[in-house]
Amino acid sequence: MGMWGIRVGPVLGLAAGLLLGASPLAFAASESPADGVYADHIDWGVIMDLSGPTSASQAVWTAGIKDYIRKVDDAGGINGRKINLLVEDERFDASLDRIAFEKLTGQTPVLGISGMGNASAQVALASTIRRGKVPVLGSYTTTKAVTEPPTPMFYGGFCGYKEMAQVGVGALTERLKLAAPKVVTVHLDTAGGKEYADFVNAAAMRHGGSSKAVPIKANAADATAQVLEIIASKPDFVAVHGTATTPVLLMRAMQQYGLPTPVFGMAYIGTPIVYNSLPPEAGSRYSFVSCFTPGGTDDSAGMKAMTESADKFGHSAMKDDINYVAGWVIGQLVTEAIAKAGPDVTREKLVAMLSKGFSIDTKGLSAPVSYTPEDHSGIALLKPFGFDYATKRFTGSGTYDEARKYEQ
Amino acid sequence: MLPQVLFSGLALGSIYGLVALGFALVFKATDVLNFAQGMFVVVGAFLAVTAGTQLHLPFALTLMFIVVAAALIGAAIQALLIRPLTGRSMLSIIMVTIALSIVLRALIEIIFGPQPRALTTPMPTGVFIVEGVRISQLHMLAAGVSWLCLGLFALFFRFTTFGLQMRATANGHEAALVSGINVDFVNRVAWAIGSVLAAIGGLFLAQLQLASTELEGIGLLALPAVVIGGLQSIPGAIIGGLLVGLIEQLASSYVSPRSADIFVYTLLLLVLMVRPWGLFGQRELGRV
Amino acid sequence: MSGEQAAVSAAPAVRPARGWRAPVLLVLGVAAACYLPFILTERAIFGVRLSNMQLLNIGLTQVNLMMITLLGALSLNYLTGIAGLISIGHAAFYAMGAMAGAVFGTQLGLPFPVVLAGSALVGAATGVVAGLPSLRVRGLYFVLSTFALHYIVVFMLSEYQFRFFDVVGIPFEEATLGTFVLDTPLRWYFFLLVLCVLVYVGLRNSLRTREGRAMMAMRDHELAASAAGIDVRILRLKAFACSSAIAAVAGTLYSYYMTNVNAEFFTIDFAIQFVAIIIIGGMGSLAGSLVGAAVWLLLPAVITGFAAQIGSTDSAFGTLLTESKPQLVNLIFGSLVIVLLIFAPGGIAGIGRSLRDRLSVRVR
Repeated sequence: MGMWGIRVGPVLGLAAGLLLGASPLAFAASESPADGVYADHIDWGVIMDLSGPTSASQAVWTAGIKDYIRKVDDAGGINGRKINLLVEDERFDASLDRIAFEKLTGQTPVLGISGMGNASAQVALASTIRRGKVPVLGSYTTTKAVTEPPTPMFYGGFCGYKEMAQVGVGALTERLKLAAPKVVTVHLDTAGGKEYADFVNAAAMRHGGSSKAVPIKANAADATAQVLEIIASKPDFVAVHGTATTPVLLMRAMQQYGLPTPVFGMAYIGTPIVYNSLPPEAGSRYSFVSCFTPGGTDDSAGMKAMTESADKFGHSAMKDDINYVAGWVIGQLVTEAIAKAGPDVTREKLVAMLSKGFSIDTKGLSAPVSYTPEDHSGIALLKPFGFDYATKRFTGSGTYDEARKYEQ
Repeated sequence: MLPQVLFSGLALGSIYGLVALGFALVFKATDVLNFAQGMFVVVGAFLAVTAGTQLHLPFALTLMFIVVAAALIGAAIQALLIRPLTGRSMLSIIMVTIALSIVLRALIEIIFGPQPRALTTPMPTGVFIVEGVRISQLHMLAAGVSWLCLGLFALFFRFTTFGLQMRATANGHEAALVSGINVDFVNRVAWAIGSVLAAIGGLFLAQLQLASTELEGIGLLALPAVVIGGLQSIPGAIIGGLLVGLIEQLASSYVSPRSADIFVYTLLLLVLMVRPWGLFGQRELGRV
Repeated sequence: MSGEQAAVSAAPAVRPARGWRAPVLLVLGVAAACYLPFILTERAIFGVRLSNMQLLNIGLTQVNLMMITLLGALSLNYLTGIAGLISIGHAAFYAMGAMAGAVFGTQLGLPFPVVLAGSALVGAATGVVAGLPSLRVRGLYFVLSTFALHYIVVFMLSEYQFRFFDVVGIPFEEATLGTFVLDTPLRWYFFLLVLCVLVYVGLRNSLRTREGRAMMAMRDHELAASAAGIDVRILRLKAFACSSAIAAVAGTLYSYYMTNVNAEFFTIDFAIQFVAIIIIGGMGSLAGSLVGAAVWLLLPAVITGFAAQIGSTDSAFGTLLTESKPQLVNLIFGSLVIVLLIFAPGGIAGIGRSLRDRLSVRVR
């Protein structure tokens, strides 16, 4: 019996003790407006994977948005209010997304939320977001569940898989002057990877070509099987979906087999680490498509401001990573949206302003970011990027507008 | 295509075998299933980044740095965490190693930041072409070093007094204690060796791909490898590692990469049902 | 707050011999458990507003998801602590529950209670299959067979998902019990609370039956149990079926709560959490499972809350805090778990027992 009995007294006492113990640390619960807008600051939420399997890119994105907000706050904030980011770590666990969303809705209310890089979690939250009062502005990934049909509560902040596939296939088909491109898509054997392979296939078919999907494990240590598959199907070029490891493994194995086939990666893996860990002759065959301009590519006004802040806040090593740029651009999107919603901003006013259409000028850091009442995906244009090993800088080709011809 | 796949499978399998050997040694000595072995692989990868990429040590010194540091970490963990838990239930100790891997992961991310690191070492990256089969020099080196380590440990266990003491301890703690062996010291050395073997595996895995905390998952493949080979058996761990590597490459090439794990775990289940003591283990505990 | 809940599920455990104290505590416990969700929703107690930290940075969804996990932990504790079988494969039964929910609920459109019953049956059947290795191997080898089971079942679920549904996951309808729609965290809370109490009381009472005693005899001494005429094999499979039926129902509930489930949700970490909960709580103590679940699932949020209170400074620690706060939280959490495991061999239930013994000695 003793093993079942639980002494109620000590447990209740412990709980009471914890509650009392916490109270002196807590702020006086004087004002707590439901919208996260206070006299001197505004709370804004971020939900991202900061210590889970995708933190390598999502934590860098989070550093980007933090730095932009810090720059704005150092300059006095918006309409006299500083922006305070409440960052929730979701460890790529959908139930933590749900907890974080509820928390930012009511517990520690925020004006709006950015990030949400877990696609399955976003779909799981889609009905909650649509029914709710907190807008999601500037997401790291965008799923159909929240954009078709568009809802006034959701605004994307990253180019989609479909556009990445279309621009990548289109640009390489044109560059290699192919009549009917034959493509191999090497993709992670996850839900997202399968989806990307399907988009590449559709894009190849539109150019009269064909594609073959070759899966790879998320934490593979070798890509021999994939390269043998590539050798067998003799594609004109290869598309890659994955984490930074995927193109590294693939390009190294291809080099060992002496395969000169060009490879293009999706935006998320346009990171310096891929180029740094490949020898120049292999790395020069790798390009990626992105709607964000990686640091060091050009000297646009936006680039200068970003570089200056990144160096100042100790993130020089991150600024060449397009994930950092993406976070930085969303920081600008958020602050300009809050400013435009007026000095007495509320969730309702922010949503009303956004749903009428809104756009920002990132001064060369990205493709145009704009929302119309019908289209809330935000960023749709991309262009190909490569890396120049001689100058150790990224190189962009063409303009973002040229990509229009590849997209439907 | 087949010889190519077989070769890469054996090369990868050698690395798994190395990590698995460390796992088996720790289990033999202290009866602990070390779920942090995967994180020890990551620790090895980042030790290599520290020595090679950040301190720019020459390769020989880098290797020494990894071996010494990993041995110290392994011994410290045994002294601080495992020794106080002697005699506790198997699950509590497994749980401590799981919590340990949470702590190690957090520490590594605090020190090195969220982005993966590229490892720059003078290890060869070219290929030999033998009869149309391309043999990656890095794979060769990884397999070579793994086999060298395995050989050294075999000699160590067979011919040195300390190796004999370790074997004696593994066979029975009480008997070893009675014959005057410092069992605690032997256990500490077992943890140190286990950690070093994982770290060397980490060095090669980081060179094959990138140094990141995601290498943990690859390191944990040592668990099925060890059980398939036989938890109590040193050669079994190595053969188990090779088998896992082969199955993985064959399944990735001829079925699908996602099925690779399933083949490995189905084999594990079969082995458990038919020969629970593993392919090379001795028939003893664990059967009803 | 977890304490208040503990009171409810634990209240029936208070012995009648204590006279007036048991019913009073029971009433207080029920009252606290019923008031708790309103505190967490209104963020106020009897009209007095509480700050987020005064409520330990905890919300109702967190409590609900904890209760769903608690169902799995209770059933695993039953299996491990009572019948002596250890399993790392409990996430696999959640995955089976998700699959059963998808077939019966999403695809066939059956009513929610029928779906739950169906998933219990599927879970029990899977449990018998998963328990088969226990006829041949035990101890560590059995643990490893459940580890293998985890990967095989999750692979099945993902094949099923890719075959019949969208790549982002399997959608689930809103759960309804007759006219009672489970559409708010508050409604879910009361539904889950009742379910947790039922499972707790059911498992506890089943131990007092002849079979329950036989199981404990089996755990303590298998040979003696067989000699006493207990068919150990059948008993083991029964324990496994019962435990996995509960876990599968919990998996279905999880799916309905999440509204969208991806096979990728059921990671090995998901499986490990159940083992972690029962070890931290104390093996064999069903009430300890509640405290274990609170530690494993709520403690990170509490640590995060405290970390958020510390203002960022320009010191080295301030930089560390702004750059790697999640890592710091994980570091503290992992270290606390290690300390707990080293210094509390019997889990939190063990601490409770020794505290009580000391107190009762002093009183005498």
